[in-house]
Amino acid sequence: MKKFIIVLSIFPIFLFLWGGLRPKEVGGSDGTVGVEVCKGCHEDRYNTYAISTHSKKGIPNSPANKDGCETCHGPGAAHVEKSGERGVGIFIFGKKIADAKSKSAKCLSCHGETKDLSFWDMSKHKVSDVSCDNCHTVHSGTRKNLKATQPDLCNICHRSIRAQQNKTSHHPIREGKLKCTACHDHHGGFGPKMIKANSTNDLCYQCHAEKRGPYMWEHPAVEENCLNCHTAHGSNHAKLLISRMPQVCRNCHDVSRHPSTIYTRFETFQGSSPSNRMFGRSCMNCHSNIHGSNGPSLRGKTLVR
Amino acid sequence: MKAKVFILLLISSLISFLNASAEEKTISGDVTVTGQHLNINGEKAKFNEYRDIRDGFTGDAEFQYEKDKYYIDLKGTDVGRKTQNYELSGGKWGSFKYDFSYDQLPHNFTYGAKTFYTGVGGANLTYPTHPPSTDISTWNTFDYSLERRNYTGGFKFDLLKPFYFDVSISKETKKGIYPIGTAGTSPGGIAIELPAPIDFVTDNIKIGAGYVKNPLSLSLSYSYSKFESDNGNLNFRNPATTDTAATTDTFVLPKDNSYYQLDFKGALKLPLNSKFNVDLASSRAKADAHLFDSYVAAVTAGTSNIGTQGRTGITLSDNVFNGKVDTQSYNFVLTSNPFYFLDGKAFYKDYKKDNKSDKITTTDTTALPATFANDLFGYQKEKYGVGLGFRLPASVYLSGGYTHGKIKRDREDIPKNDDDIINIDLRWSGLDFMVAKVGYERLQRKAEFEEPTVTSASDSANIERFIRRFDVAARDQDKYKASIDFFPIENLTFSLGYRHKNTDYKDTILGLHKAKSDEFNIDADYLIGKRVRLFGYFDYEYAKLDQFQRQLPSPTTLYDPASPPTPTAFNWTVTETDKNYAYGVGTDIYILPNKFTLKLQYSYWKSDGSADYTYLLGSNPLPSGRTQDNIDISTLDNYKTTYYLAKVIYNVTNYLSLAAGYAYEKYVFDDAQYNGYNYVPTSSTGSTLGYLTGAYSNPSYRANVVFFSAAYKF
Repeated sequence: MKKFIIVLSIFPIFLFLWGGLRPKEVGGSDGTVGVEVCKGCHEDRYNTYAISTHSKKGIPNSPANKDGCETCHGPGAAHVEKSGERGVGIFIFGKKIADAKSKSAKCLSCHGETKDLSFWDMSKHKVSDVSCDNCHTVHSGTRKNLKATQPDLCNICHRSIRAQQNKTSHHPIREGKLKCTACHDHHGGFGPKMIKANSTNDLCYQCHAEKRGPYMWEHPAVEENCLNCHTAHGSNHAKLLISRMPQVCRNCHDVSRHPSTIYTRFETFQGSSPSNRMFGRSCMNCHSNIHGSNGPSLRGKTLVR
Repeated sequence: MKAKVFILLLISSLISFLNASAEEKTISGDVTVTGQHLNINGEKAKFNEYRDIRDGFTGDAEFQYEKDKYYIDLKGTDVGRKTQNYELSGGKWGSFKYDFSYDQLPHNFTYGAKTFYTGVGGANLTYPTHPPSTDISTWNTFDYSLERRNYTGGFKFDLLKPFYFDVSISKETKKGIYPIGTAGTSPGGIAIELPAPIDFVTDNIKIGAGYVKNPLSLSLSYSYSKFESDNGNLNFRNPATTDTAATTDTFVLPKDNSYYQLDFKGALKLPLNSKFNVDLASSRAKADAHLFDSYVAAVTAGTSNIGTQGRTGITLSDNVFNGKVDTQSYNFVLTSNPFYFLDGKAFYKDYKKDNKSDKITTTDTTALPATFANDLFGYQKEKYGVGLGFRLPASVYLSGGYTHGKIKRDREDIPKNDDDIINIDLRWSGLDFMVAKVGYERLQRKAEFEEPTVTSASDSANIERFIRRFDVAARDQDKYKASIDFFPIENLTFSLGYRHKNTDYKDTILGLHKAKSDEFNIDADYLIGKRVRLFGYFDYEYAKLDQFQRQLPSPTTLYDPASPPTPTAFNWTVTETDKNYAYGVGTDIYILPNKFTLKLQYSYWKSDGSADYTYLLGSNPLPSGRTQDNIDISTLDNYKTTYYLAKVIYNVTNYLSLAAGYAYEKYVFDDAQYNGYNYVPTSSTGSTLGYLTGAYSNPSYRANVVFFSAAYKF
């Protein structure tokens, strides 16, 4: 805590020293022609703009309160003078025309000063040349101007995650009850894998608070990282486990008596030597308090109570 | 009570909605009514694991109202179902926003589970006469199912821009019955599956304030979470004992806990198109547990009756466990883009978990050793590194980075790791119709192994000399990835992706030796002449794990895996393999564009798992009846899901849309560890091995759903 307070105290001094070094901003609206002129040729695009959040006059600083279409696409006079020649004097949000950085810069000129985008520069999306218009459309009436709903939108690029979501053991993502953005900060953050917490466990405990403890008898692998045993997006094995019991437990446990014993097809229900260490839920038939226990005695220690 | 508050909020919002002047206001929305008919054979719980598809009607509705700078949005989905969701949001643009929501989520595990216990759903399970009946037709039937209800509210105030203030609260309840397993006697003994009552409440509040204006962004937030469980213990009559008491044993359920976090975040723009980002967080988790509120309270300390009454007398250095874990996190990240062709990043992260809980010493004369205490686990993870990205000629982007991680943990076997990670990625977008990417990452983990203290050659701690637990073990890990995205013509996209991961736990003697996986993904989407859309995907994954283990009798001195094998002390291996593939195809046929659409879809998901065992017995024979081939498991979590959908949509007018359809879903589960499920399994000698309840035993189902819907927009 002391270390935390010291660091917290140093930061404002750092800010003071760097104050005033604000980068030069670019902008200007000379050469604009007005929304009606744009509408004259691009009525279909205008109609989609008209139903979008960007057209709302009630929103301070919205394009509707600035230069309309030209707020994002730039002044149109040169474009009109060239008889509307494609790409002349106008900024187009096409994937083959403008690079990701330029497109995002357009959006950030208005949205950059919001808390949600404060850490965009750290985002893996930015480094990967994902621009705002990959996910958002400037012209639409959808929620947050998104091009599709989650998880379909995210799965367009994250195809291996889509494959995991389809597995038998999964979070309710494909059912639409858990959004990718419930766990991930798509605009950038400090957590690993852009998660909305400083550690995996801190994130998981937000929904699974009963596993938070602290417990008297802990399971170190569990306390350090839920992902030591579980996978987040989907698994062929129950409870989102990385492999089947008893194998998953045996990645760590091999001591005398039953943890070291080989359990095979012969120890299943249909085998000739059924064992309650193997059939059904295997280790979990007895060791249910796998996330920690406050059970006194050796039984608490071995997580069977 | 919460539901009433929510309804009052809705009513008050609607009153303001009705009182609004007719001028300058915009009202829009939609209402959808859906009727469903379900025909299902098999496990309804798995079919509706997170859903509530059943006979009857449901609906969705949304109302949006705007007037000048004010707006209200009221939305409801799956009305009347166990998945229903309601959201109310509104505010004044540029000044404030508020939102309230109510969400339900079921998690169904197994319907029609069986137990000889009475009192299911409560915290006291008993049965009238010992031993319990093994005639499962006389057992009680119940469902394993949980239901979450989440109530949230939030307020965001940003009138005083660039300053802002946010507050959000939520309450989540989780109720139902969940399967737990416990040992009748310990060590060894029968397995008893118990229906545990779940009645959890978690309250959360988060308050935050900040400032955002270039070049500076600052925020400070405080969050608090309180978890409460109505049932601290599950008391049950233990069928492994002959005790005649109604309840003779206790399974300890999660205890109440609390958590708070103070978090400061900041970002400052610097010269050379750079930015310095910082996150400093401090948190504390607490939980207190009265250790003698369970079955042991009734037993005289020091009395040894384990194995006959299933409980034991013990003494503790403190009867109350005070759990306290403090966490501190520091993140510093500098990003820079000084030139168009150069991106840079440098970071330092430190995450420390300090366990300040009570250390409780237990004296149990039946245990070996008789005195033992809980270990307090804490750790510190430090990470720093740099990353650089170069925009090269010919539309090539080359990036790479180096990260060094240090982990120190309060743990006896491997208290320290050093990680070195390098990565390199190449992206080429030189053609208008294609983007190609390749990437490579290598992790080298060093592990500082500490030899255990052993008292004799037969001390079971000897085995620790050979075990390297995989989560902390030394490893070399290589990851490769490649992808190509084609969009050769307008309205056609085609993507290919491949990932490979190979992990070699190079110092491991006993434990996980190797893990390997390969993934392929193919996607295509083509819109032909604005009349037909075709789409499809194919996913394939292959994963393999290799373990090396040693079976030992007790007591023994033959811990060393290099020892010559004996019939009871020998090495063995297992290779677990998972093959998973899924594909889907579909089409949207716009028979009358914007008027009449036909949708067809087919998906198939399949998993094949297996476990290949090998006894390393040398010249010693395998146990009777066993060969190296007949011991293997060929059906490990195998399943197949088949899904068909046919749907027609007819837009009667711009405001009214009708839809009807049919869906078929079949799920077949085949697993050697569940096949031949027995509620009261017995050993080869006829002794009872457990009392099970059927949890997860047969999730297969086949379902047909017919549905229709009418949607009206206004």
